Amino acid sequence: MRRASPTPGDAPALPWLMPALAMLALFYAVPVLDVLRLAFSDATLIRPATEVSTRAVAAVLSNPALPQVLGTTALFTLASVIALQGVGLAIALLIVRGERRGLRGMTALRTLVLAAWVVPGIANGLIWQILFSEAPYGGLNSLLGSVGLGPVAWLSDPQMALVSAVIANTWQGAAFSMIVFYAALRAIDPVIYEAAEVDGARAFTVLTRITLPLLRGAVLVNSVLVTVQTLNTFDAILALTGGGPGRATEVLALFTFNTVFYNLDLAGGSALAILLFALAMALALVLWVTLGRRDMRA
Amino acid sequence: MTGRAGDALTYMGAALVAVFFAAPFVWLLSLSLRTPAEVYLGASRLIPEAPTWGNFATILRDPAFAIYLWNGVKLAASGAALAVVLAVPAGYACSRIDFRAKPAVMLGILAVQMVSPLVILIPLYAWIDRIGLLDTDLAVIAVYGAIGLPLSVWLLKASFDAIPIEIEEVAAIDGASRAQILTRITLPLAAPGLASAFILTMIMNWSQFLVPFILLESDANWPISVAIFNFAGSTSASTTQILAAACIVAVIPAVAVFVALQRIIVSALIDGAVKG
Repeated sequence: MRRASPTPGDAPALPWLMPALAMLALFYAVPVLDVLRLAFSDATLIRPATEVSTRAVAAVLSNPALPQVLGTTALFTLASVIALQGVGLAIALLIVRGERRGLRGMTALRTLVLAAWVVPGIANGLIWQILFSEAPYGGLNSLLGSVGLGPVAWLSDPQMALVSAVIANTWQGAAFSMIVFYAALRAIDPVIYEAAEVDGARAFTVLTRITLPLLRGAVLVNSVLVTVQTLNTFDAILALTGGGPGRATEVLALFTFNTVFYNLDLAGGSALAILLFALAMALALVLWVTLGRRDMRA
Repeated sequence: MTGRAGDALTYMGAALVAVFFAAPFVWLLSLSLRTPAEVYLGASRLIPEAPTWGNFATILRDPAFAIYLWNGVKLAASGAALAVVLAVPAGYACSRIDFRAKPAVMLGILAVQMVSPLVILIPLYAWIDRIGLLDTDLAVIAVYGAIGLPLSVWLLKASFDAIPIEIEEVAAIDGASRAQILTRITLPLAAPGLASAFILTMIMNWSQFLVPFILLESDANWPISVAIFNFAGSTSASTTQILAAACIVAVIPAVAVFVALQRIIVSALIDGAVKG
């Protein structure tokens, strides 16, 4: 059914869409195809492709560093996605409850969390590098030291460095999930809560039986967006650890970046970029299908 | 759990959140106001005994830093303007015109956002090099225009949706064309949506590191995000307080703009989140 429009029948959409579609084709669609072509070539950053070859793809897949990079990526992404959504949801619940009860300071809290969100990724990495400094006067370690704890090897221990990267990533990124969940929570009809209160439901029951099920749609969309975002970003890690110690925090996006722009291996980097792209799309699809199906069964 | 006990728990949770999110800012500020001697006192001297603006003076007196800041603003604003201008007709069509491919177009635009800039920059670097635009503002602005486009289309669609269609119908009866309706009536009414799309994409661009880092080679063209990364590489433990001041200078503009305008930005984001 057509929606009432000011000038009915006189509405071909294509001319309106053209500027945006042309831009996206030029800067996204064609480059993605070109990455595919480059992956199956022998190009380097300083020398264009001369032949079609599968050598770069084979070299990338047999690179002994790749399994470790993929493992780090999986661990970092999984931990970040859980932390980002958990913290984001907790803050959203807190603020919505505070607002319902008319508590003061909730807007200030929201503003503070959002302020971390607009900190540039590079600055985020540098700020946390300063906090995690392992010198005796470093921010967190001197604080721990004053109560007789630590020092913690925040950035020099391979496992701890990954934890530190997740903490920094959560600090900056939680606001996005908070906004998504905050919007979803405010859209829930308060009548439902009043009914639950009349029935004498306990707060925990209300959370698990009413609020969380109603948030399923928001969790689904947010999971996809946050997972892909986490997979694709590496500027905070670049500034925080540079991928180290060793390769302990070198995620796939950073590995790809290093391959192209430091090793100047355009073909190999393109193969990795395709892997990154395919992984992002596959994860988005898998999350959509699995979480979406559970959504329908409920 | 209603009443006072619940409120107390809410405040405790809020305090915990506030400490985690404020601590990095507080520590950064504390360091940036210290003399080198006080830096070595660590957390025991959170409020410097002899606070100094010297570190900020060092940063701001450096003419290169002013250039980096200006480059950051220039690139971020031009890129955001390009994205919003290109997004207006598409957002309008998605809001007001019925066409069969609309769900596919909307979803496709969202899917584009899932492609890492890193993936597209690999070929774009080679192309831009070939047409001789490497190390120019134009190259960065064009890429920003594309990267900011998906979010802008979604935000603008949501803000057009919020404008009653009846207003446009009245204008159509008076004989206005669709283009006239858009420019004279809908766009002025959608000003808050346009503003929040512009500001959000501008903040995104301000934070961008990868695009300018790869496309700009000469120091004089760098925005602040690239400059502080290189600056950090040249600092040592004895100049942490200066790096802290530099980080604050890089962070403050985006945070200040965001906090000042957060009412319209947050409501635009919430509208987008609810409808998206």
